[in-house]
Amino acid sequence: MTAALAEHARLIEALEATVGADRCLHRREQLLVYECDGLTLHTADPSAVVFPESRDEVQAIVRACRKQRVPFVPRGAGTGLSGGALANDGAVVIECSRLNRIRAIDPANRIAVVEPGVVNADLSAAARPHGLFYAPDPSSQLACTLGGNVAENAGGPHTLKYGTTTHHVLALELVLPDGSCFELGSATGFAPGFDWVGAVVGSEGTLGIVTAITVRLSPIPESVETLLAIFPDVVSACRAVGMVIEAALVPAALEIVDQRTIRAVEDSVYAAGLPRDAGAILIAELDGPAVALPAQIERVRELCGRAGADRVEIARDEAERQRFWRARKGAFGAMGRLAPDLYVHDAVVPRSALPVVLEKVCEIGDRYGLTLSNVFHAGDGNLHPNISFDRRDPDQLARVMAAGAEILKLCVAAGGVITGEHGVGTEKREFISLVFGDADLEAMQRLRATFDPDRICNPGKIFPTTRFCAESNPKARGYDRVPM
Amino acid sequence: MGDLEALAPQLGDALRFHDPIAVDGVPISATITPRDEDDLSAVLEALGEARCAAIPLGAGTQLGLGNAPQRADCFLSLAEFSHVDELDASEGVCHAGAGTPLADLRARAREAGWELPLDDAGRGGTLGGALATAALAPRALGFGRPRDVVLGCEVVLADGLRTRCGGRVVKNVTGYDMAKLYVGSLGALGVITGAWLRLAPKSAAVRVLQSEELDDPHALALGVIAARLATARSCLLSDETRGLRATVELAGESASVEHDAQDLAGRGLRLASPALRDAAAARRFAGLAGAVRFVVSSLPARLAECVMELRGAAAELLVLPGLGLVCARGASADAAALFAVAARAAAAGGGRLLCERAPHDAKRGRDVFAAPPSDAALSRALKARFDPLGVLNRGRFAGRV
Repeated sequence: MTAALAEHARLIEALEATVGADRCLHRREQLLVYECDGLTLHTADPSAVVFPESRDEVQAIVRACRKQRVPFVPRGAGTGLSGGALANDGAVVIECSRLNRIRAIDPANRIAVVEPGVVNADLSAAARPHGLFYAPDPSSQLACTLGGNVAENAGGPHTLKYGTTTHHVLALELVLPDGSCFELGSATGFAPGFDWVGAVVGSEGTLGIVTAITVRLSPIPESVETLLAIFPDVVSACRAVGMVIEAALVPAALEIVDQRTIRAVEDSVYAAGLPRDAGAILIAELDGPAVALPAQIERVRELCGRAGADRVEIARDEAERQRFWRARKGAFGAMGRLAPDLYVHDAVVPRSALPVVLEKVCEIGDRYGLTLSNVFHAGDGNLHPNISFDRRDPDQLARVMAAGAEILKLCVAAGGVITGEHGVGTEKREFISLVFGDADLEAMQRLRATFDPDRICNPGKIFPTTRFCAESNPKARGYDRVPM
Repeated sequence: MGDLEALAPQLGDALRFHDPIAVDGVPISATITPRDEDDLSAVLEALGEARCAAIPLGAGTQLGLGNAPQRADCFLSLAEFSHVDELDASEGVCHAGAGTPLADLRARAREAGWELPLDDAGRGGTLGGALATAALAPRALGFGRPRDVVLGCEVVLADGLRTRCGGRVVKNVTGYDMAKLYVGSLGALGVITGAWLRLAPKSAAVRVLQSEELDDPHALALGVIAARLATARSCLLSDETRGLRATVELAGESASVEHDAQDLAGRGLRLASPALRDAAAARRFAGLAGAVRFVVSSLPARLAECVMELRGAAAELLVLPGLGLVCARGASADAAALFAVAARAAAAGGGRLLCERAPHDAKRGRDVFAAPPSDAALSRALKARFDPLGVLNRGRFAGRV
């Protein structure tokens, strides 16, 4: 037996001692499914996958990994789109799907305490009988877990009004990379001292493993109005979004679907009866007191008309509302018809820059000869340029990557950032330097080192591997300020 | 002081000596006023080399917040960082320097058709001060907490490193959310020099309603209901002669405001003048400073138990039911007793406590942030990474870091 095999055998023995052999996978064929997350472009083989069922087991696993000097990575449902759950450096995957209890729904205080493996939509379903719901609603909410949402600070279509995960998490139970456990924050939302919860949410699982989450629940709005506007082109749809924002209206969602996506949807089982020649559609949703919504939705209708909409429809009932949303929610599924692979980008620009940036994004796609479509959270300026491709074609793959890099540079140059809700992960770690200088990353490394000085918790994420080294550059002077 | 005097040639006009100003019993007789971020960076580096300690200073309205400094040689004034750099009315975002008075920023936002969602209850503070202290005031109910208003910020760290985090866009998960760490950290890690802020839509209608004086249980029940109305921007229960009086500010789109106003009218509240309420609320909230002042948090359903603990021990209470906060004022002679009562009240409410103001001898040996031991351990580890020499606000923050 080689030294490496012996080490691996010792690791498996130690892990099996923590959770039992039936909850520890280590054979090659068992591990295949864990070689990537929702971003299939990047893969890495884990040393093992373990399934803890309690905080104590998580602590024991972390201690075992630490003792063997093996890194580990927490994983939820694996729906992430930035390679955030990738098992770099032969990491052990700590699969949190069995930490899936809703410990408490407390309607009087409008909070819930959940474990990280609870599926996002299941929490809202459990809260619904109390007239409450959990607001962050990523598109994958039927599958993604709240632990993953915390790691990525997940958003969703209704972020515009309700905010992202960080606005709804009040307290966390966190197992640190040394195996200790901390209670952070307060269920009351008031925790004098450093905002540890704010720092951990969105840290992509690099500061520890969350084993319990206290979240705020929101009252289900009394009424919802949904509007579908059909535009001759995506630029006029973006113009309408700008006018709605400037009019100081606060819709719950403002989503745009472009022509290529509309056609893909109409050709699929998600067909919503949209005109195939429409340049773009805008879905605007408002919620709140019933007394206020009719006037507001009429105002949005008027603004859409002024922005150049060919047709505007307001949903007359829930069935029609669902039909409007089908075009948006079915978009990613429909794109499966276009090509075997889909690369979902995720950049943010100032909303006012949307028309210009989108035009250039499409130009980039055309220049590289790629099928590029757009479906995005326009109200937040959060773009999702989607490139359909076949990864078996190396030339096509190279063009996809080159086009993606150009899109990110374009968005940063427009005053934006490289990710709005998917995270940096493995995918964009080399691009973070477009947004932040060495000094900015050094500050982040100081935070990381506070929690994980040995860098064994989800290594190889967020920070670039090619030009930044915190140890060799403890005081990066004269960094170039990137214009914001 | 000797160390600071040795730096005088290097600091030039930026250093000014003056009559001592005491911060929790520590007299400070010098103020350094850096011109810009580069200057501030050099100043912090020099202070570190000279093993001096500094307290960042905005308008000085919240100098009493924090533990007694372990050492403080000078103030670091942000007066030169007073500028609104950009206000993008189409986007609803703005960037301003930390020394900008909130009143100026608020006026600029209103001119552009937006609202600055930071409430300092008329304290007269600066943007940097509001962010460093994460100052909460009644309108945080509608505006959200200061942490949620900041999109990005520039911070010069204690060792002089100039950094940025976040950005100007309203949605962003690029890297760690460092702004969350800096907001409310009392300058323990670095000095915030400027920030991008999310503005709020200007309200088409504002209504203020007040109740009669009510006994505690009735007022608290009413307060929780009122604070949960869709347009409630602030909800405050103030101690009066015979009980608590609820004052609720509704703001937003006209039809919704009228709808909620009718709801409150049906519960016995009467319309009051917004101007009167503004003045009264600000006076009550800011004026509640007294000699000793605590903020205790509570879950809504346990607010009554929390108030019950404080009632009797505190000279005056102010309750913000929507934020789950109870402010309690007492006399300096009662400080030690109030610490104990506030801890019991926080336990009763399932929350935490902060002693916002107390005589320095009452603070001695205590952590006014009442950080739990685990928080304190993490705080020390973080402080050691960011400010190993203790240049900024040494000993003042949570865990006495």
